[in-house]
Amino acid sequence: MGTTRRALLIGGGVVAAGAAGLAGRRMWLDRDPAALPAIDGSGHVLWQNWSGTESAYPAVRAVPASADEAAHLLKTARGPVRTVGAGHSFTGLVPTDATLVSLDRMTGVLGHDAATCQASVAAGTRLFDLGPALAAIGQEMPNLPDINKQSLAGATQTGTHGTGRAFKAMHGGIVEFDLATPRGEVLTCNATRNPEVFNAARVGLGAFGIMTRFTLQNRPLTRVKKVTTMRRRDDLIDGWDDLVQRHRNVEFYVIPFSHWGPLITHDETTEPVRPRGPDTDTDGLAKLKAARDVFEFAAPLRFWTIDQAVADMPDQVAIDEGWKLLSNQRPVRFREIEYHLPREHQIAALREVVAAIETHRSDVFFPIEVRSIAADDAWLSSFHGRDSGSIAVHAYYKDDYRFFYAMIEPILRRYGGRPHWGKLNSLTYPDFAALYPRWTEALAVREALDPAGKLLNPYLTRVLRHG
Amino acid sequence: MAMTPERHSAGLALLLLAACHPAQPLTEAQSAARRPADAHLAALYDGSCRACHTHRDSGAPLSGDHAQWDARWAKGPDTLLQHAIAGYNTMPAGGQCGTCTAADYAALIRFMADQPK
Repeated sequence: MGTTRRALLIGGGVVAAGAAGLAGRRMWLDRDPAALPAIDGSGHVLWQNWSGTESAYPAVRAVPASADEAAHLLKTARGPVRTVGAGHSFTGLVPTDATLVSLDRMTGVLGHDAATCQASVAAGTRLFDLGPALAAIGQEMPNLPDINKQSLAGATQTGTHGTGRAFKAMHGGIVEFDLATPRGEVLTCNATRNPEVFNAARVGLGAFGIMTRFTLQNRPLTRVKKVTTMRRRDDLIDGWDDLVQRHRNVEFYVIPFSHWGPLITHDETTEPVRPRGPDTDTDGLAKLKAARDVFEFAAPLRFWTIDQAVADMPDQVAIDEGWKLLSNQRPVRFREIEYHLPREHQIAALREVVAAIETHRSDVFFPIEVRSIAADDAWLSSFHGRDSGSIAVHAYYKDDYRFFYAMIEPILRRYGGRPHWGKLNSLTYPDFAALYPRWTEALAVREALDPAGKLLNPYLTRVLRHG
Repeated sequence: MAMTPERHSAGLALLLLAACHPAQPLTEAQSAARRPADAHLAALYDGSCRACHTHRDSGAPLSGDHAQWDARWAKGPDTLLQHAIAGYNTMPAGGQCGTCTAADYAALIRFMADQPK
């Protein structure tokens, strides 16, 4: 055998072994996380959040049917008493080994006022039911989040939001609520009645009591045109301020390891209805994962492959009532960190986040989400007192997400960001105290309502109690 | 348990029937029209399962769709119960139901798979 032939064979063998090794590594990393026991040794059924980051085996599951029942439960149940909606929060808001409360028996639109465009809504109503229920009375919530599985209480208690320069987060539409407290009473709270509780508990992490009803300031039902279009990343980033001004709702995604990203806009229209087509996001995500799997260690090839795949994608257009278009099915589970930054710092922070991921984290394939939210006055709102720009980084549910804390969070904190209450972060009491100007007042209200800390689980104790 | 000739014959007949009449996929509207008869189950179903199991884009098998459920049902109710409570692929743990008991999950699975009690 000649030297050249032998060298070729050896070289080919090394390449094949390397490829096989990489494929084996990916298969190993792609295995499903080990499932927890469905039932523990005491016979308690597992509760786990949507993303799989938090779990518990509550001894009691309670489903009050009224505000009075909720108040009685809070007064008598063993703590920690935690309320759960759809379990979409990534943080440890829900886990309790004692009493887990569901609001699933308090649902639906309870009444409405056509003149003021307000509606009274039971707190456990899921967003996917609220959209059509409000549409039936000619109303809609001003804005909606990306996912519509959450309960109204869960979404608003965590400051869940959509996007749009002139739109507040969902809790911005609350003009009154009923709160069952650990003292066994039900407080009706608005701007003039129990105003301190209204301001402190509107975004309250389920730590002030159990929300049982909301009055929402809605708006007349409108038709919107949703357009999803691929744009060059640099154009999206450089043109963000202009896009925010020009569209009613606008967001974009940076596809890591690509020069392109999708821009999604919603604007009011009188054009004929054009229902949304089948979901294409899930398939797109699968292709991004495939590109990651094959070219994880060949960034130039990954850029080229993704760019070729997305650059000529046709625009997607749908025209319908907003509640049908603003939210999406998200069947692929993930973990997420999202911070809300002063709007003037959003793009600088985004550039650093993208550069960090593309330099150090070739395993990341989920697009990075960029949105805009108006200021509000709830004391614990992440948007308190300032118009905000959000940046959200996601990790596939099978992938490592610890880089959120080591790499992404320091960047977002350096630019003055506040974390989304339902999304992963490492902050504790002193960090939050420095970020929220009404922190001390809000917590004084909470302590007055729940001096024994019955509503606090270990996570909330770290967040809401000093020392 | 040993199989008797009668059991063999019955099983063969079922297989042949299945081969002659492959399950037809349901539409989203057909799936959305289904609801458990039991009020307790119906409330749980409305609050949780229905959000995904009547929408094809969710990735979940449509409620009542034998074309999607039969292969799953063949894994056995216990396996499906474990998947429902602890999560499996796109199925989130607990199916976003905060108060379902193990018996509730079993009944909801049976309803969605359209299997008799």
